Amino acid sequence: MSFIELKNVCKQYANTNKKAVTDFNLKINENEFIAFVGPSGCGKSTTLRMIAGFEEITSGELYIDGKKMNEVAPRDRGISMVFQNYALYPHMTVEKNIGYGLKNMKVPAEEIKKKVDWAIDILGLEEYRKRKPKNLSGGQRQRVALGRAIVKDQKVFLMDEPLSNLDAKLRVSMRNEISKLHRNLGSTTIYVTHDQVEAMTMADRIVIMKDGVVQQVGEPMELYEHPVNKFVAGFIGSPQMNFFEVEVEDRQIVFSDGNRMQITEEMAKKLSPYKKKVILGIRGEDIKFDPQNLDVFKDNKMCAVVDNIEIMGNENNLYFNFGGNTAIARVSKYEVCHVGDKVEFVFVPHRMHFFDCKTEEVIPV
Amino acid sequence: MGMAFFGPALILLTLFLFLPMILTLIFSFTDFLALNPGLTHFVGLDNYFQILKDDDFRQAFGNTLKFVIIIVPLQSIGALVLALLINKVAYCKTYFKVAFFIPVVMSLAVVSTLWVQIYSPEGILNSILAHVGIHAQPFINSASQALPSIAIMSAWQGMGYQMLIFLGGLQQINPALYEAAEMDHASNWQKFKDITLPELKPLCIFVFITVTIGAFRMLVQPMVMTGGGPSHSTYTMVYDIYETGTVNWEIGLASTMAIVFAFFVMVLTVIQTIVTKDKEGTKHVNKKAKAF
Amino acid sequence: MLTKKQKHFNIILAVVMIAMSLFFLFPVIWMLANSFKTDAAITSDMNSLAAFVPPALSGKFLDNYITILTNTNFIRYMLNTLFYAAVLILLGIIVNGLAGYALAKINFPFKERWLLIIMLLMIVPMETIITIHFLFIAKLGLLNNVIGYVLPMIVNPFNIFLFRQVFVSLPDDVYEAAQLDFCSPVKYFFTMVLPMSKSVVATVSVFTFLNVWNDYLWPSLVFTSSDLLTAQIGLNAITSNDNTTMGQTLAVITLVTIPVIIIYALFSKQIVEGVVSTGSKEG
Repeated sequence: MSFIELKNVCKQYANTNKKAVTDFNLKINENEFIAFVGPSGCGKSTTLRMIAGFEEITSGELYIDGKKMNEVAPRDRGISMVFQNYALYPHMTVEKNIGYGLKNMKVPAEEIKKKVDWAIDILGLEEYRKRKPKNLSGGQRQRVALGRAIVKDQKVFLMDEPLSNLDAKLRVSMRNEISKLHRNLGSTTIYVTHDQVEAMTMADRIVIMKDGVVQQVGEPMELYEHPVNKFVAGFIGSPQMNFFEVEVEDRQIVFSDGNRMQITEEMAKKLSPYKKKVILGIRGEDIKFDPQNLDVFKDNKMCAVVDNIEIMGNENNLYFNFGGNTAIARVSKYEVCHVGDKVEFVFVPHRMHFFDCKTEEVIPV
Repeated sequence: MGMAFFGPALILLTLFLFLPMILTLIFSFTDFLALNPGLTHFVGLDNYFQILKDDDFRQAFGNTLKFVIIIVPLQSIGALVLALLINKVAYCKTYFKVAFFIPVVMSLAVVSTLWVQIYSPEGILNSILAHVGIHAQPFINSASQALPSIAIMSAWQGMGYQMLIFLGGLQQINPALYEAAEMDHASNWQKFKDITLPELKPLCIFVFITVTIGAFRMLVQPMVMTGGGPSHSTYTMVYDIYETGTVNWEIGLASTMAIVFAFFVMVLTVIQTIVTKDKEGTKHVNKKAKAF
Repeated sequence: MLTKKQKHFNIILAVVMIAMSLFFLFPVIWMLANSFKTDAAITSDMNSLAAFVPPALSGKFLDNYITILTNTNFIRYMLNTLFYAAVLILLGIIVNGLAGYALAKINFPFKERWLLIIMLLMIVPMETIITIHFLFIAKLGLLNNVIGYVLPMIVNPFNIFLFRQVFVSLPDDVYEAAQLDFCSPVKYFFTMVLPMSKSVVATVSVFTFLNVWNDYLWPSLVFTSSDLLTAQIGLNAITSNDNTTMGQTLAVITLVTIPVIIIYALFSKQIVEGVVSTGSKEG
């Protein structure tokens, strides 16, 4: 039995005729870490706020722990929440902020103190406990917001883009801390983010949304390896997957700049119903330059001129014009080349994805 | 829940604003006498015709206009000059801001009581004038000087307020404008005429009208200083409303005067709202308020 | 870098302005200096610069003040006014603050229309309806009664609007966080909204105090009993008594002014903000 369940949940704001969230269905297990990810305006925050009770559910049902929650006030849903802008009480010290909910729940003073001390300890806030939020850095404020959420022993944690106001370095370390916190406390967590890296690195399962509609639900690797449509394929992974509009002629793929590539008969057969035109997608790391791969796939060697190189250190991104598009390939730091070099490469055939031109749905091959 | 929060205010607004406004309008068409409420009749526009012919009200109206005409330029321009000087001065800025603002925080009753002494025939002002060769003036004891004397005093008391508003506006002017003018070889006078004044124009209009509205409402000064005299020369519209309504209990007539008075004030306010709306001056000042 | 010419100009300007400010303030300086003098001394000093200099310290230096404080009800008037101001600040913040909060953050029927009405009410001059207020309070038998004095003064469209403008920019997520911390809306208003808006609360309090302290017309209508008078009305009662000397008159008005000067010294920031923002009530 799932712990949180959303059934056909819809959200439509008054005076609009478009739904902000359409038919959201999801079952979340106890102790699971779920990430909602998508571009801004995709409805992920709205969905989270419907679960919290800050937005009314237009239609559909929400169950938490077996109870229908549509009409229940936020405070009685057994949730705690971490907000994007921290939402700390500006005139209260760190410890008062953390203990405020417990105080309102009429928890005895010594127990509040024990819990607040515990939270302050695991979040490393000891030296700041008497400070007010305005005297804290962004990372410290985020810890206080986390502390406020964890002391209340609620079964569900909701986090609304909690790291988006932090700088890149701090984001990485907080990511790690939230993951650890989740493992230790085991509360069911729903985490909203627009950053696919956060979703990939932290979540047990990811819900990826666009325009109010769930695109795909799955474990991180499942989304990465088997995206159901072009949007998911493009959203997950960095650098973005390369897309080419290609034509299928017999057993050949023809790129718009005339380059050709052989494919298996089986693949050609599966692509045949799509009237020749399809979208080919391939990730940067599946474009190979090394002699070994060039040798294995020697029938499909292709050529291009390196346009630009982004040096990352551990590996480099090569930009080159190919197939009517700028393609990005990821190469190891040992594969040295320069801008202007003419290079040979191959696409690893079984790592290619194909999408319908019109629906952008994946074509299973 | 919104109603629970708004409710207390709504009840009080109804009792002490909506209801009195409606009653004032209704009473203005009756001969309602608070001492004899049983004998109230609807009299149509009679009250309005009556106050048009009433010598006291006509004089009060004339005095109010005269007061406005004297005080508005005096107080507005005085405030602007003070603001320009304080904006320019390099030393003791805070002292000047405080010094010229002090009369504003003093009450009208205090200022009026004080100036009764200042204006007295053997008072300090006449003694100062004697030193510069001007012989003693009657000030508030003469029908011709009383109203201007009160106007000068009121301008003295009030101009610190508008001075602060102008200072807020001045500090909002982009300094780069003056630097650009400097590059264009503008003289100080040209800078003032071509940059400062145009930038302050919306604020000037605002101040002009606020001072006018304030002047229309003048009452406490003659109440304390002259009792409306000598020979009604400082009797104002609000004074007439006050005496007719709360001393003579002629509520009907007082309501009519109040309606006429409110009409003038509200027309001025509406003009002010229209003129200053969307002119950025006021918004500038709002932002400035935080930086002060 | 200042040129030498600019430096000279700055000094000359400052000197001229100091002279101006002294001339501007001569009534106040004269009031202070002569509030310590006997009437004979005031008259004899009138024609010289001594008019602006306090008398030498002597046993009689504070006589005028002592007479006022001991022989009249003046302390009582001051305490009355402080009490009225405290009551009106408290009630004003609650009533106008709650209304401003409702208009800023809570949905209720005709909210937008109410806001418009509040803005329209700001242009109604109080002098228009003060006759009716007086009639009401008299009919209710509340003349010479604190309740009768306070009741019509609590609600203030300006303050409702001012509160609303400040509350509208408070972050919603803090309210949401407080909900999850089991904080009721009323508790939220008093323990969160007001502390988070200290600046506007201070501004409204200071201006309410100044209004109550300096108000003349309304208290002069409601109060006739000597026990209830405010400082301004009391001042008028004392100075219009023929036994009061000129020196004592100056001492009374100095005493009445001291509290507002203290308030101004403590809260000049709020006062300046309040004044400057009147230039922008439509913005």
